[in-house]
Amino acid sequence: MSPNPPLDKERTITDKLKVKDIHLNFGGVSALAGVSFDVKAREILAIIGPNGAGKTSILNCINGFYRPQKGELIFEDQNIYHLPPHRIARLGIGRTFQNIELFIGLSVLDNLMAARHIHLKRGTLAGALYFGPARNEEIRHREVVEDIIDLLEMEPYRKKVVGLLPYGVRKRVELGRALALEPKLLLLDEPMAGMNLEEKEDMARFIIDIHELKKIPIVLVEHDMEVVMDIAERLVVLDFGKKIAEGAPEEIRQNPLVIRAYLGEETSESEAHA
Amino acid sequence: MPENTLPKLLKRNAEKYGSRKIAMRVKSRGIWQSFTWQDYYENVKYFSLALLALGMRKGDKVSIIGENKPEIFWAELAVQSIGGTVVGIYTDCTPPEVKFFVADSDSTFVIAHDQEQVDKLLQIKEGLPLVKKVIYWDPKGLWNYDDPILTSFTEMVDLGKRYEKDHPGLFEECIEKGEGEEIALICYTSGTTGMPKGAMISHKGLVAIAQAWRDVDHWSPNDLYVSFIPPGWIAEQAVGVAGQLVSGMEVNFPEEPETVQENIREIGPTILFFAPRLWENINRMIQAKITDTSAFRRWIYHLLLPVGYKTAQHRSSQKRLGLIFKILYQVAHWILFRPLKDRMGLSQIRCAYTAGSAVSPDILNYFQAIGVNIKQVYGGSEQGLVTIHLDGQIKYETCGPPMPGVEVRLSPEGEIMVKGENIFSGYYKNPEATREKIREGWYYTGDFGYIDEDHHLVVIDRMEDLKELKGGRKFSPQFAEIRLRFCPSIKDALVVGGEDKDYVTAIINIDLDNVGRWAEANRIPYTTFTDLSQKPEVIELIKKDIQQINKFLPEWSRIKKFVNLHKEFDADESELTRTRKLRRTFVENRYIDLIAALYGNDREYNVEASVTYRDGRRGVIRTSIHINPVEETH
Repeated sequence: MSPNPPLDKERTITDKLKVKDIHLNFGGVSALAGVSFDVKAREILAIIGPNGAGKTSILNCINGFYRPQKGELIFEDQNIYHLPPHRIARLGIGRTFQNIELFIGLSVLDNLMAARHIHLKRGTLAGALYFGPARNEEIRHREVVEDIIDLLEMEPYRKKVVGLLPYGVRKRVELGRALALEPKLLLLDEPMAGMNLEEKEDMARFIIDIHELKKIPIVLVEHDMEVVMDIAERLVVLDFGKKIAEGAPEEIRQNPLVIRAYLGEETSESEAHA
Repeated sequence: MPENTLPKLLKRNAEKYGSRKIAMRVKSRGIWQSFTWQDYYENVKYFSLALLALGMRKGDKVSIIGENKPEIFWAELAVQSIGGTVVGIYTDCTPPEVKFFVADSDSTFVIAHDQEQVDKLLQIKEGLPLVKKVIYWDPKGLWNYDDPILTSFTEMVDLGKRYEKDHPGLFEECIEKGEGEEIALICYTSGTTGMPKGAMISHKGLVAIAQAWRDVDHWSPNDLYVSFIPPGWIAEQAVGVAGQLVSGMEVNFPEEPETVQENIREIGPTILFFAPRLWENINRMIQAKITDTSAFRRWIYHLLLPVGYKTAQHRSSQKRLGLIFKILYQVAHWILFRPLKDRMGLSQIRCAYTAGSAVSPDILNYFQAIGVNIKQVYGGSEQGLVTIHLDGQIKYETCGPPMPGVEVRLSPEGEIMVKGENIFSGYYKNPEATREKIREGWYYTGDFGYIDEDHHLVVIDRMEDLKELKGGRKFSPQFAEIRLRFCPSIKDALVVGGEDKDYVTAIINIDLDNVGRWAEANRIPYTTFTDLSQKPEVIELIKKDIQQINKFLPEWSRIKKFVNLHKEFDADESELTRTRKLRRTFVENRYIDLIAALYGNDREYNVEASVTYRDGRRGVIRTSIHINPVEETH
């Protein structure tokens, strides 16, 4: 694993996604209170923060699961603020979930193939009869999926039912499924939660590989500071629904607000993540 | 013109089969992709020309480090086609080990599999001034590497195609010029003793070995082989590379090391070569599955297995089987053995081989019983293929009779000596060691053994590994260890003795999977490997195994005391070699205090092991382990 992927000279500076002043309330509880940040084309951005800081909420807002009360979400010059999740997926935002959301009764291959549905052009009948163009199309999709299987080293699990796979592998399958959409922006919600050290290292390597190969921006929500500092180029720190810091890993490490938010003065549970 | 080099054989096969016959298959993107002999030849040709274009000369050495893939075969033949020598390096070598092999062999090119291997080379390239290029074939993760020393296999083939335009016929000319005496490869001895030495093997020798082997076991173009043993090992060179070239059989490459079991099942190979460990693992896996299955199936298994044993006994001594047993065997075959073998992908096996370290006779017997024709082979980088089990004359405790054309003799001390075309040409840059090992045409193997009444060779141990007890009685620790390893609950064992010691003791590695499952079934709670290994019930279990084995050992070499080690022997800590043989001297030195305690009166020993965790932190494990006497049984 190369620790810091070299920056491409021709990297564009334009923003892929602009998040502007997002407010999200659940009844009287304010989950996000005016969060703004940009995701630049081809960067790995990490969103960190203690439990309940609103990290997952912001991802849910971006891909349309939550409807924020106020704010703006601009993806490639298009406002996606009011769009439903399936439209957003079609626009090219792929994501994984903190609590794995796969079809546990299907094989790894079928899970990945299912994710190709947004790229399918042939109708149900043609697909069912499996001839001519429909057949060619399926073969082409299978090739894409096989590339992902190769990239994420899932060959041994290709035909295994997801429900029987260990947790770390399922996380990988989920990442694979997000990739199968061929997203232009990838959102990863705690891809390393609950993994052992070796699995974390593997996952970090996969994230860097994806970033290098697909040249897409990745937004990463993560608890594990060590890993985040290693792979992210920029970090956004949230605390109680507000952005308290933004910058390169070294800056964040020294930011007193961040240290306080993580080590805290009163809470004991946040200590575990520091 | 006789085909006395590997490239000449390749050319002959390409002319004979062209694109009509498949030479190799590899599973990639979930599909078995085939390469015909024409494809094989062309890939070799262009790669070879590219090497010439980059300045490789006749006699240059090229290191190859990678897993079994077609590219490794192509690269090897490409190097040999222009008179070069291949140095095979194991993929799990550490960077300093790789550096030693590349530097010691004066390699000018290195062919590396993937990012993992390329990273190692980039790390050590400063110390390797001779290396002109590092060539990889799996580009994954290497997209952004811009080191000028790197180049990819595809780039090489393109370069070769361009080079051919200016130099037509050059490649064919190079092949024609090849001589049988040229060194085809250098195999580094695995180094159970001292620094590894590079054994040089000529084309003539390798072809002779492969041809003799082909004739003995009737390898044909219809045979299917799955290439899995390390390509740097002489066995894979003799079967996979040279064996394929002399017989025309199809070589199949698994997708990933993790998918081998599955891939073998898909291919249904007729020829297979595994290191003894792998056969032991398959056997262990079957035993574990049988323990887990329903009581009825277990009953069937234990009912029918003896039929297999009985049949195997008759078959291997060419005795006729009674009618009743013939019927019983058919029943057992259809109900038990056939499905069992099918599960393991072994149902089509004609010849299965094992060699390397000694294998337990029980393992051979077991596989013969379920109908897998497993044969033991004796050989090595230096001595080539010496003996092999012949069909119908299989004696599990021997390695079979000498191959045709190979002479075997014993020195007065009992050392095995070998003479013939198949012995190696000498150690690279080490004529002194060569003179010491080859005297008057005889290679002194350093193995202790004897020839039995049927002219079968029995290899007992390395000469230097024979141990003496106080009073001068000799015993072979390995002999007991192999048998210990056959017990399902024991993964590894080190048997200790010495001139200053009165009796024999053992350090045991329990098998976490099997013992863990056993503990679960018997409701014995445990936390870690260390904890499990010291449970009184587990100690009792191991003790029973040892008592069983003691029955077969001469009185003086029985194991009197043992410990269950708190950790597993680990290749990363140099306790095992890369082929998973125990590094005896190293382990004995490492546990010198523990061994002293085995000969003391204490019942407990405190261990303090410093460990390096995966993230680089260092720590100390403290625990006490029990020293257990083994009582005699009657």
